Amino acid sequence: MATDTEVDLTPRLKTDEMLINMGPQHPATHGVLRLILTLDGEIVRHTEPILGHLHRAQEWQGQNRTWFQYQALIDRVDYLSGMFTSWAMARAAEVVDGCEVPERAEYLRVMVSEMNRITSHLLWLGTYLIDLGAMFGFPFYPFREREKLLELFEEIAGQRMMFNYIRIGGVMRNPKDAWLSKLKRFTEEFPDRVDEYEAIVTQNPIFLKRTKGVGILRKELGMDYGITGPSIRASGVNLDLRRTKPYSVYPKLKFDVPLNDRDGDTFDRYIFRIREMRESNEIIKQCLDMLPQGEISGKKQIAGLRVKAGEGFAAVESPRGTLGCYIISNGSDRAYRIKWRNPSFCNLSILPELLKNHPIADVMAIFGSIDVILPDVDR
Amino acid sequence: MRNGAEILKLGTLTLVWWCIIFGAVWAACYIVGILIPMALTSYESDAARMTAETCRALTPILSVLVFIPINAMFMVLFERRGLAIFTVRLGPNRVGPDGYLQTAADAVKLLFKEDITPRGADAFMFTLAPIVFFAPSIFGAMPLLAAVTNYHELFQIANLPTGIFFILAASSVPVVGIVMGGWASNNKYSLVGGLRSAAQAISYEIPLVLSLVTVCLMAGTLDVVQIAKQQSGGILNWNIFGGGALRGLDQAISLKFSSSAPALQELSKSSFEQVLKSVYLEPTAQALGLGAGQEGLAGIIAAFAVVLLIGSIWIAYGLYMTGACAEINRIPFDLPEAESELVSGYNTEYSGIKFAIFFLAEFTNLFIVASIAAVMFFGGGDCPVPAWLGTALGGPQIASVINQALTPLIEIKLVDPPTLFATIWVILKVYSIVFFAVLIRGTLPRFRIDQLMDFGWKRLIPLSLIVFVLVVYAREFVNVHVGT
Repeated sequence: MATDTEVDLTPRLKTDEMLINMGPQHPATHGVLRLILTLDGEIVRHTEPILGHLHRAQEWQGQNRTWFQYQALIDRVDYLSGMFTSWAMARAAEVVDGCEVPERAEYLRVMVSEMNRITSHLLWLGTYLIDLGAMFGFPFYPFREREKLLELFEEIAGQRMMFNYIRIGGVMRNPKDAWLSKLKRFTEEFPDRVDEYEAIVTQNPIFLKRTKGVGILRKELGMDYGITGPSIRASGVNLDLRRTKPYSVYPKLKFDVPLNDRDGDTFDRYIFRIREMRESNEIIKQCLDMLPQGEISGKKQIAGLRVKAGEGFAAVESPRGTLGCYIISNGSDRAYRIKWRNPSFCNLSILPELLKNHPIADVMAIFGSIDVILPDVDR
Repeated sequence: MRNGAEILKLGTLTLVWWCIIFGAVWAACYIVGILIPMALTSYESDAARMTAETCRALTPILSVLVFIPINAMFMVLFERRGLAIFTVRLGPNRVGPDGYLQTAADAVKLLFKEDITPRGADAFMFTLAPIVFFAPSIFGAMPLLAAVTNYHELFQIANLPTGIFFILAASSVPVVGIVMGGWASNNKYSLVGGLRSAAQAISYEIPLVLSLVTVCLMAGTLDVVQIAKQQSGGILNWNIFGGGALRGLDQAISLKFSSSAPALQELSKSSFEQVLKSVYLEPTAQALGLGAGQEGLAGIIAAFAVVLLIGSIWIAYGLYMTGACAEINRIPFDLPEAESELVSGYNTEYSGIKFAIFFLAEFTNLFIVASIAAVMFFGGGDCPVPAWLGTALGGPQIASVINQALTPLIEIKLVDPPTLFATIWVILKVYSIVFFAVLIRGTLPRFRIDQLMDFGWKRLIPLSLIVFVLVVYAREFVNVHVGT
């Protein structure tokens, strides 16, 4: 009997709990994640993520490949933001080696990385709407803009996904003037396109119903679990390495880091990624204006590339969070030890907490909103 | 228009496929229903007569059986190409000329795929489920046949006095097939999908039925043929525009513009007011018991009632489309097969021909739902141009020219112009509704199951009851079909 004004929501009728295996072959797990869900009716009571289906021993391979070979391999760790994985490793190696990176190279790095952040968020946006059940309409719109950026990547790096563009000591290739003007044109029309997405999605009543108040990530809980990236900024933690631990030429650029003033839900994680795309666009614009002339690499890009002996750590702000790389080098042509700190792996650890007491339909809404890339989890 | 060329291609594709559908269905019906019985008349025997009768009786069933697979094949293509336009893609355009045969190839592929029954599944139920899902959509369509073919003698089958009841009853059977398939698959995703479908169908059938009951109330009959017949005579007679609530206005305007001679115009001007009076003021005054000298009040109430009636019917139509989308499991109500949650819901374990039947039935259901809407709300096979305007535009002359040109074909009963035009109008209306459903599918994400239930029980059902009551009152003051 509910004598209080508050309604008692615990079910009177006790039913058996059902174990359901979501994945590894499931259309919505973004790769091969296996979730063992304990369901009470349609409510998730307990979640156990099982990882490792995509383990490729990326760290071990780093110790058995030359630096030059491993550079080409490392894009595959997080295939949606390859620029950032290359950049993290390049920066770590530069810390160890102590080599200088030319300023033009730094600007180019920032430019392509922010482009990569946009493509990564665009793909996330499309697939997230698919997770929410908009199977056919909207999801294809972000891919239209993503395609333009991928063409630019292809032009400058020769590859659409596995760029291998950022190298130890600098970048691989100098962009042509035509490339820069194409990019400029893109940055000018991109904000209108984002407005277009927002017009379809942000005000959509069904979308709001599915995302508002769903999967609330408390600030403290997120910090305990080591969540980074847009997910934690949407919960109000000011953690953006571009600002809190500035690297490259970011101190010279003007941009906002969108921060929430309350615990973020799924909708906040959506809207902060949208804002980040706009900011990235601004950064690209500034880089285009400020791009200096000069060398593009402080180190000779040869097969026998060596890094001086020593050890060091460097991290970059990837679209998914803090992406760190720790390197020990003994001065030979390959690393002695490489260790990665992958944002997807750490962000995924929060999933069981977020899913607790949500209906099964929200599993994908929440899982999609923390933007996990499975190869990045399993390495 | 950035993809105008693609839209044009979709238009051509639609026209070509309509010709194929019409051609195939009519050829089959013509051979069985007319040619064979004609050939048999020369034999003077009971057996020949009985065979001819049987052939004629089987024609409607044959027409549906030929129509459904070809039409579903086209609808899949239509949907895919339509969605492609909405989503800045090209869609299937490789198989056959410009992708015309894509779904035919898909159908062949599905038929030749291995038919797998998973281990632990209830094989009998597993096989029965697609049949239970599909069969009702065939016989559910029967009462609509006469209404959409302009009452052609060949298609007079199952002309039930309670036609709409029969259609609704038939359309609620498929959910049994879904639950059966979900249960028999021995798969948890399928089971959840099947049970969701049952819950959803039960909740959304109520607003669906109530909105159709509203229309029946206005029409005063449950017979679909009767409902379609009442709406003939132009767009203002359709139920969606109050089912003849505006007919008085229509008549009055036609009188006003019927003649150009000044003397006649004077006459018609007076009759214009007379018509308005007899159609709107008098019934209202009568219903309210108002005396002479209170025409102003009666006029206001009549106008208010007409607006209320038309508004209510539009809301009823919205309710019908919402309920129908839920009933046939389309986005945003496709929870039983929610891909991102339940893999593919109740049909996860199905493959080959059984999956093809599920797929076929899904699109057939969409077509039937749209054709019910066309008959109940949009006047069935009626031309939207009002009769008086048609006469003014030279409709009869055009009709006679067409009749003359087709005389040899009409004589051998190959062409029946009223039926032909009725079916063309029906197919236009139905495909407009289907296009709308495709547009919805290209726009909206999916509801969550508890939100779906809330929406159904807390919003749609009360709203449909309110609309029902409003129509009951409004039609007291307006001259709708009954009695006119």
